[in-house]
Amino acid sequence: MTEKMKLKICGMKYQDNMEQVATLQPDYLGFIFYEKSTRHFNSESILELPKSIKKTGVFVDADIDFVLEKINKHQLQAVQLHGKESPEYCNNLKKRHAELVSISHPIEIIKVFSIKDEFDFSILKPYEQVSDYFLFDTKGKLPGGNGYTFDWNVLNNYPSTKPFFLSGGLGLNEVEKINQFVNSKASRYCYALDVNSKFEIEPGLKNIEDLKTFKKNLSTILDNNKEIVMNYNVDEKGYYGEFGGAFIPEMLYPNVEELRQNYLKVMAEPDFQKQFDKLLKDYVGRPSPLYYAKRLSKKYNTKIYLKREDLNHTGAHKINNTIGQILMAQRLGKTRIIAETGAGQHGVATATVCALMGLECIVYMGEIDIARQAPNVARMKMLGAKVVPALSGSRTLKDATNEAIRDWINNPVKTHYIIGSAIGPHPYPDMVTRFQAVISEEIKWQLKEHEGRENPDYVVACIGGGSNAAGTYYHYLHENDVKIIAVEAAGLGVDSGESAATSVLGKEGIIHGCKTLLMQTKDGQITEPYSISAGLDYPGVGPMHAHLAKTGRAEFMAITDDDAMNAGLELCKLEGIIPAIESSHALAIFEQKTFKPNDVVVMSLSGRGDKDLQNYIDYFKI
Amino acid sequence: MNRIVSKLNEDKKLLSIYFTAGYPEINDTVSIIQDLEKNGVDMIEIGLPFSDPLADGPTIQDSSTAALKNGMTTEVLFKQLESIRDTVSIPLIIMGYFNPMFQYGVEAFCKKCQELGIDGLIIPDLPVDVYHNEYQAIFEKYGLINVFLITPQTSDARIRYIDSISNGFIYMVSSASTTGAKSGFGDEQTAYFERIGKMNLNNPQVIGFGISNNETFTQATKYAKGAIIGSAFVKHVTKHGVKTIDSFTKSILN
Ligand SMILES: Cc1ncc(COP(=O)(O)O)c(C=O)c1O
Repeated sequence: MTEKMKLKICGMKYQDNMEQVATLQPDYLGFIFYEKSTRHFNSESILELPKSIKKTGVFVDADIDFVLEKINKHQLQAVQLHGKESPEYCNNLKKRHAELVSISHPIEIIKVFSIKDEFDFSILKPYEQVSDYFLFDTKGKLPGGNGYTFDWNVLNNYPSTKPFFLSGGLGLNEVEKINQFVNSKASRYCYALDVNSKFEIEPGLKNIEDLKTFKKNLSTILDNNKEIVMNYNVDEKGYYGEFGGAFIPEMLYPNVEELRQNYLKVMAEPDFQKQFDKLLKDYVGRPSPLYYAKRLSKKYNTKIYLKREDLNHTGAHKINNTIGQILMAQRLGKTRIIAETGAGQHGVATATVCALMGLECIVYMGEIDIARQAPNVARMKMLGAKVVPALSGSRTLKDATNEAIRDWINNPVKTHYIIGSAIGPHPYPDMVTRFQAVISEEIKWQLKEHEGRENPDYVVACIGGGSNAAGTYYHYLHENDVKIIAVEAAGLGVDSGESAATSVLGKEGIIHGCKTLLMQTKDGQITEPYSISAGLDYPGVGPMHAHLAKTGRAEFMAITDDDAMNAGLELCKLEGIIPAIESSHALAIFEQKTFKPNDVVVMSLSGRGDKDLQNYIDYFKI
Repeated sequence: MNRIVSKLNEDKKLLSIYFTAGYPEINDTVSIIQDLEKNGVDMIEIGLPFSDPLADGPTIQDSSTAALKNGMTTEVLFKQLESIRDTVSIPLIIMGYFNPMFQYGVEAFCKKCQELGIDGLIIPDLPVDVYHNEYQAIFEKYGLINVFLITPQTSDARIRYIDSISNGFIYMVSSASTTGAKSGFGDEQTAYFERIGKMNLNNPQVIGFGISNNETFTQATKYAKGAIIGSAFVKHVTKHGVKTIDSFTKSILN
């Protein structure tokens, strides 16, 4: 982790002071929930802080219930454990937080260790898996806040790669020393500086001027990247590198702007999270299993785990997003829902959540797709949705999307448009990604149970617009030891003229309000892709993936119809799972790429094959 | 002076007509432009067809699809317009979506427009802020006026912002709709027209979307400097061919 060094200011007590400190934009603010501390935080509430500041609760051997109560009450994003909390304690806290507070927004755990002159680093080992950061401070009479530094050379022997906070007696006099430290090997995994007592007028009251000076004197460390690190997430302007943005007609501006201003705020509301998590659990059936595919692994001589999104209600990952968006629509006071669909999976997932919430649902679907996907059309109708044929252009997914956008232009006030993939104008790609991020969130703890580690060697997913892929990659985007593979549909072959391999055939351009890679003529007219799988048959790709392709963060592979179909059938025979043809594309990479026997490959099995039976029947003449 | 600006300075209400280049036939472009001028039209929007025209209703979608099928491309259109300034003197605006221009190269596109005597551009899916930050300098270098849209939902603050970076006229979309969707103006529209009128903007406004006949033209120009007709004109040439443009303009201007 060689981003800019983070700054944590700890021991906040007074609201006014807090407000001033917040203007310095620290990355963390610490609140001590330990009665014996002179900085004990006992106010009823914490004033609203900028979203970029993580509220951290500091505890000393507290009851887990007490910790959870404080997390809930003050919407803490991190906890710092200063006592003798065991690894089991940390693990239980994480688990119970996921159960009771939020699965989608896990709490960061910072485990504190105090160092005098020496330190036995082997005691860190059991905490590796159950904490997010370590924090090193000075061993003294008190649990923290003793006001003097320890010998940082000890950290030369730091055996871990876990990022840590440096704490204990950091003040203005230490600036020079910190500068030296940051340039030494011992700081390699130093993630943040933690300051407290050296900046106080009295316990809990911070001296703003001194903090300002400190920040200024360390600006090269705190404000500049030590090394340039790539950001694969959306930036504040709505771009992933050069891709993204909101290229929309002015008629759509109020709608999209309303969403942009609200989506993060709404998603951060504890009530929203609670409802989202609960529906994912009770209605969708999450967590979806992470299944070790033994016979498949044996055949390809590597370790393959399948993330079973096919077991979700309605049969694919699409429902994660529609649940999130219907709750968003309700929060924004919308009463009419529109969606586009290609094969009908997203249409069914949208019709389902509209039925669940009792909202009017209109699904646009290309006239040609309506004819090809009769069972899904029937499903949508049974669920109460109105299916409107898109008669323009090529009468497939891209035109259905155009029609949905036109509907939104014509109905700007009460309508919410539920886009079905990580595409469209900002904030859609990011919002959809965040709703789908539950996939990698679960993979992390599930893989830890299986393999004792959160990070696989590879994460793999098929890409239409890129929503199941975005969710599968999300928590691994910045984990450099995790390689990312994106699988596109080659159709009859990348060079055949009948293909949907956007990363190879696409050029930068604008589609559906977003700058990304898309398949188009030299003249900038959008062309019709081809794949046997209706869900991969999109001429563009989400802007996150365009960025992953351009930067080389992800390896893109293209799989033909034939290879996908065979891989799908193989999974049926080896594992007793009939996959969606989209997912079969991902499965086909094992014929193309050799993995090491010890590689752990986690693959998103994005959907089940029921919807594709007719295709399988026709193809294999079953 | 840019022809759009001089036209806006004339003491009259302006009729502007949109048509899709390459429709009904690929080579109709020049004769349509000439006929429109001959029949008293003040300004023309030449539609550069796009495969995915998000802001357009069925009429313009269909004409765009047909034009593309006829072989219309950016290159072909530029070729057709090569000598347009020998015969036509009213302001000409190219209206199209951003992707074809982006592929041509924004600067190359603007340069070509200047060479041909094009006076301005309307690009519905090029957002104001992107234009402002990335392209305004290029447009200005080639003497092109960029026209922005506002709608009944656009906030006053945003209208002021748009006004501040416009240098020709503001395209007032009459209602929340795609092109050709509604006909006739109700109380809601007139209230909106009045509201904008009272804002005393720096740029004159021209109303478009939903104007199809003399009645709506007269209504719109009561509040604005001019009005734009698109779908109704495209429908007319679909039905009656390109030889009867005079009967269309007469029906509007009476
Ligand atoms: C099962 C399944 N997988 C994958 C996709 C592709 O969509 P995305 O790339 O957004 O995950 C679809 C789309 O319909 C699908 O139904």
